[in-house]
Amino acid sequence: MTLVSVLALGLAALAALFAALWVRARRANSLARTRLSAASAELERLQNAFERFAPMELVERVVQSGVPTSGERKEVTVLFADLVSFTPTAESVDPSALVRILNGYFERMSRAITAHQGHISTLIGDGILALFGALEANPWQTDDAARAALAMRAELATYNAELAAEGLPKLTLAIGVHRGVGIAGLVGSPELMQFTVVGTVVSVAARVQTLTREHGVDILLTAAAQRALDPRFTARPLPARALKGISEPVEIFALVE
Amino acid sequence: MPGALSDVEWDACFLEPRRDRDLEAHVRRGMGTVPSSVAYFTPAPWIVHSMTQLSPFGAPPLHVDSMLADLIGLVVSQDNSCRYCFGVQRLMLRVHGLPEERIHHLEQGFLDAEIDPRSKTALDFARRLSRAAPLSQATDTSALREAGWTTEAIRELAFHAAYNVYTNRLMTIAAIPYAPVEGLADSWLVRVVTPALRIMMGRRERRARARMAMLAPERARGPWAYLVGALDGLTCARSLRETLDAAFASPILTKRAKALVFAVVARGLDDAPSAREASDLLAESGLPPERAEPILTHLGSAELDPVENALVPFARGTIRGRPMQLQQHTRALRDVVSREQLVEAIGVTALANAVTRLSVVTEV
Repeated sequence: MTLVSVLALGLAALAALFAALWVRARRANSLARTRLSAASAELERLQNAFERFAPMELVERVVQSGVPTSGERKEVTVLFADLVSFTPTAESVDPSALVRILNGYFERMSRAITAHQGHISTLIGDGILALFGALEANPWQTDDAARAALAMRAELATYNAELAAEGLPKLTLAIGVHRGVGIAGLVGSPELMQFTVVGTVVSVAARVQTLTREHGVDILLTAAAQRALDPRFTARPLPARALKGISEPVEIFALVE
Repeated sequence: MPGALSDVEWDACFLEPRRDRDLEAHVRRGMGTVPSSVAYFTPAPWIVHSMTQLSPFGAPPLHVDSMLADLIGLVVSQDNSCRYCFGVQRLMLRVHGLPEERIHHLEQGFLDAEIDPRSKTALDFARRLSRAAPLSQATDTSALREAGWTTEAIRELAFHAAYNVYTNRLMTIAAIPYAPVEGLADSWLVRVVTPALRIMMGRRERRARARMAMLAPERARGPWAYLVGALDGLTCARSLRETLDAAFASPILTKRAKALVFAVVARGLDDAPSAREASDLLAESGLPPERAEPILTHLGSAELDPVENALVPFARGTIRGRPMQLQQHTRALRDVVSREQLVEAIGVTALANAVTRLSVVTEV
């Protein structure tokens, strides 16, 4: 073998080595890019998903500079829904059926609320706290909340028919709607944080909801909500009631249709 | 790769395509090509004209470069999840010479790393204007001024963002099929013809600049004159004036129905000047403020005819939301109005959404 042949072979081996390294680097680069792409797409999806639970600008602020500690005063309509006498029902059915009943209920109620521009802030046991006008300013927030309440009533009637067909107990809904000013912001601990509204506006809606049993109706509005309501809705006045923690008696109306 | 919006849900199109040779010739003269969406809007010719008039071919930017105008289109379309416009903007950026990898990075949100700070302020502003949560105000332009943008440039940036709001709403509310454009930017054919397209597009842009005409003072009057006036000295003033005039002159929907659409959008976005303008138009159409107020407060009334009663909640439903949410309102409207009325209703609501978001130009 001549010196030239040895050199040629050496150069060829070196070229092959460089080619192999180049291919490997390209593969690693492409893999990294794919992973980065997937991670970015996932982040984008997450951001889109979060925008259903908190205002878009707030989501961006959280992404860019962490959780803001300030709140904002907002006029909102609060809808508080609860299942009447659900505890005895919960004790009479087996746990798997109970979870299925509740999940079906939450799915239908959530659909009715989001279809009318509301968003669910919190689930408390079988209770639902829904907000209208909290994510974005909404001049039609009380009409939206009333439509959502009526849609929840209709959804529950359909669901009860399905439950009855399966021999399961039917559910009874109680809803309280109130309009007022609350403080909107991200509330919670670093482990569990949610965008919600706090203040009297929420507690009044929750307490008005408990009066439904007494009046034998399913949807009650406060006078503040009724005043903002489209006159095409039918709302029947009921005697004013004192509520725990509220100094003045609260005027209430039953939402008929 | 179809882009970052490939998992956005999109309904079947609500409109039927109907070709019109004259309108196609008009669009071809202006843009050099006829987009697949044109055939869906031919029943309302002013919408087809507006596609050219309001675009950078009809209103060439004087203070913002074409590449940035297209980048605005990309970020606004992505933010609005408009699959059709997003596909078109990706294609436009390819034609302007942006490499595929860079486009992918842009759509993945790596703006901070790859865009110069001055352009980034413009893109952030465009996105805020489009979202209108809340409506853009003069304070939103302070970052632009700090970055060195002039008043004229800021107005032009606002116009380009609003123009993209308009096209996004047109395509999304009508659910125009995105398949013909979505993957186009990545196709081998486009890669091959891109250099030729770039030359052709550059020539067309230069021709548009040479041909451009400003708004004549005697034509300044008309609906939203205060807004058009704020754009004086820019090519977009004339384009917006002509589009608004043509929209309100079109006989398919009544002037009152169109004014109601603008009034609802103005109220939803809390824009007082636009609300006043719509209120004046309603009064001219026989609906004075005291009778209009309950209609706008509760989005309907026995006083309105069935078309108006369907249009009012429809207009409200187009202010915000993902494509499927917007499209569910189109489905409801389709059952009440004629085909021509549906096309015009989509055009008017898209225009109202753009015009109302543009109100910031009166404050800069």
